[in-house]
Amino acid sequence: MKTLVLGLGNPIVSDDSVGLRVAAELRTRLAGNVGIEVDEDYWGGLKLMERMIGYDRAVVIDAIQTGAPPGTIHQLRPDDLPTQRSASAHDANLPTALALGRQAGMHLPPDEAVVLVGIEAADILNFGEELTPEVEAAVPRAVALVLQILAAPLSAREAPGPDNPPPGES
Amino acid sequence: MSTATAKKRISIDPITRLEGHGKIDIFLNEEGDVANAYLQIPELRGFEQFCVGRPAEDMPNLTNRICGVCPEAHHMAATKALDAVWHVDPPPAAKKLRELFYSIFFATDHTTHFYALGGPDFVVGPEAPPAERNILGVVAKVGLEIGGKVINMRRNGHHLIKMIGGRPVHPNWGLPGGVSRGINEEQRQEIEKLGREAIEFARFSLGIFEDVVLKNSDYVDLITGDTYTHQTYNIGTVDENNHANFYDGKVRVTGPDGKEHAKYDAKDYREYITERVEPWSYLKFPYLKKIGWKGFVDGIDSGVYKATPLSRLNAADGMATPLAQTEYDRFYDTLGGKPVHHTLATHWARLIELLFATERWVQLATDPEITSKEYRVIPTQTPTEGVGCVEAPRGILTHHYKTDERGILTAVNLIVGTTNNNAPICMSVKKAAQGLIRKGEVREGLLNMVEMAFRAYDPCFGCATHSLPGQMPLEVNLRDPRGEVVQTLSQYVG
Repeated sequence: MKTLVLGLGNPIVSDDSVGLRVAAELRTRLAGNVGIEVDEDYWGGLKLMERMIGYDRAVVIDAIQTGAPPGTIHQLRPDDLPTQRSASAHDANLPTALALGRQAGMHLPPDEAVVLVGIEAADILNFGEELTPEVEAAVPRAVALVLQILAAPLSAREAPGPDNPPPGES
Repeated sequence: MSTATAKKRISIDPITRLEGHGKIDIFLNEEGDVANAYLQIPELRGFEQFCVGRPAEDMPNLTNRICGVCPEAHHMAATKALDAVWHVDPPPAAKKLRELFYSIFFATDHTTHFYALGGPDFVVGPEAPPAERNILGVVAKVGLEIGGKVINMRRNGHHLIKMIGGRPVHPNWGLPGGVSRGINEEQRQEIEKLGREAIEFARFSLGIFEDVVLKNSDYVDLITGDTYTHQTYNIGTVDENNHANFYDGKVRVTGPDGKEHAKYDAKDYREYITERVEPWSYLKFPYLKKIGWKGFVDGIDSGVYKATPLSRLNAADGMATPLAQTEYDRFYDTLGGKPVHHTLATHWARLIELLFATERWVQLATDPEITSKEYRVIPTQTPTEGVGCVEAPRGILTHHYKTDERGILTAVNLIVGTTNNNAPICMSVKKAAQGLIRKGEVREGLLNMVEMAFRAYDPCFGCATHSLPGQMPLEVNLRDPRGEVVQTLSQYVG
C-alpha cells in the first residue's frame, strides 16, 4: 500500500506553516518506512487531488480555523468539510476534485482512506516565520496523531501484521 | 443559500480559513433600492515590513509565497524587478526561457479557471444550482473524456513548470540577469510535444465555448446585456507591434472609446497609476492619474480601468500568433467591434489568451536559441531601485523595490492583478444587485448573479492561503442608509 503524508502550508504566513512543520518532523520519524512518502505542498483542490494520484491512502496536515482554541487538533474526512457543494475562487473543492479524478480513471485513495489533520491556527493573516505559542505546542501532538493514524488499519484486509508493520516499527 | 432578516446575522461556517472573504456589502437608499455595493476582501498584512531588511535577491522566492494562485507570476515580476535593481539586461535566451516558462504557466492557469470556475456558469448554466455549477457539471454536460483532458493539460503544465523552474509550484529559478539553468535538447523536444497537444486542447476549449455558449442566444444575450457591461478604460502589456504579450513590453491604456490613452514603460507606472484609499476597505483602488478619480462610475471621464483578459485584448491591436489572431478577429466581429465592454465576454477572451499562450509556448520551444547556454549575465553594478512588471492571468502585476548599496531592501511596493480591478468589481457587483433588489425586496438568484459578476474577473483574494476546505464562501450584507445590516445572505455554507 502506498501512503502519502502531505503537509500543506505557507512558510511565511505565521501559523499557516504548521502543516509544513509537522511534515518536516514526520519526514525524520518516518524515514526508512517503505511505502510511506512524506512531502510538503501548498495547494488544495485540483492540485491536491493530482498530488494524490497513485496512492492508496493520504494524510493531509494543514492549518484550519474553526473557532476552537488555537492548537486544537481536528481529524476530518473530506466529507466533513463544510462546503461540499461549492466551487472556490480559483479551484474545485477537495471532494469535487477527488470525484473528478476518479471519473477520469485516476488511481486515487478512496474517501475513507483520506484523512485531514487540521491544526487550529491563531494567526493566518500576518507575515511571519514563527508559529504562535499554542500552535507551536500542538506540533508534537499532531505528529503523534499522524503516526497513530498511519498505524491504524485502513481495513481488516490491510491490518498491520508481520508483513505490514505499523510505521516507526520497521 | 440561507437568508436572515431584521439585523439577524448569519455567519459563514467558521471552519473555513477564508471566513470573511468574498464579503459584499450592499447599501440601500431610503426607497430600498441599491445605492452602493462593495466587495470586501481581507488582505494579508505586513508583507512590506516582512521584506524590508532582507536581501533583494530573496524576493523571487519570497513573493511567490504571497499568492496561492499565481506564484509563477510573482516569481517572474520579482525576477524582472531584480534585473532593474541591478541594472542588468538578461541575454536573449534567458528572456525566451522566461517567456516559455510563463506561457506554460498561463495556459495551465487559464485552463483551471475556465473548467473549474468561469466555465461552469455557462456550460452548466447560470440558473443551475451551485451544487452542479462546478467542473463535475461540465463533465456531465460535455462528456466524460473532458475530465481526463483537463487533468492531463494541468499535469503536463505542472510537469514542465517543475522541469524548467525547479519546483512544481514555487519556482526557484529567476535571477537578476537571467535564470539559474537552461534546458537541453531532450527537454526541449518534450516541451514542444506537450505544447502542440496544448494547442489542440485550447482549440477544443474554444470549440466548447462555441457550441455551448455562442450557439445559445440566451447566453449571448446575457453576455451582451447591460447588467454586465461597463465602459471603462482598459490596460494591458503589448509588444512592439501592439500585440498582446504576457511577459514583457510596454503598458498600454486604451479608453472606453478604444483610443490609446497612454503607452509607457513599466518603471514609469507611478506617472500613470495612483491609488485611492477608502476607509471601509483593506484594498486600495488604483485609477488613472491623468483622468482622475470620479467615484465608482464608468465613462471616459472616470479613471477607473480594468486589467483582465478582455482588457488585454482591448488594449492590444491583435495577437502575435496566427490561430489566436483568427479568434481575436472573430471575437470582435461577433461582439460588434472594438472595444468590447461586456464583462462576461472576459471568459471568451480568456480562452483566446489560452490559445495564444499555447502557440507562444510552441513558438519559443522551437526557437533555435532556446537551448543556448547563454542564459545569464552576472550583474556588476551597484543595486538601487527597480520595477518589474508582467501580466498575471488576472491582471497586470507590478513589483517595485528599493535597496541600499548592498542590495538590502529598503522599500517594497506591489500592485497585484486583482487590486487593479477592485473598483470595476465593485461596480459590476452593484449593477448586478441593482437588477435584483427593488424596494427592499431581494429576488431569487441574487447570489448567483453577483457571483458571476465578479467571477469573470478571476479575482485573487490577495491571500497566501491554499485553504484546506478549498471553497469561497460568499456573504452579502444588505445595509440601510444608516449602515445597519437589514439582511444577510450567504452561500456555500454546508
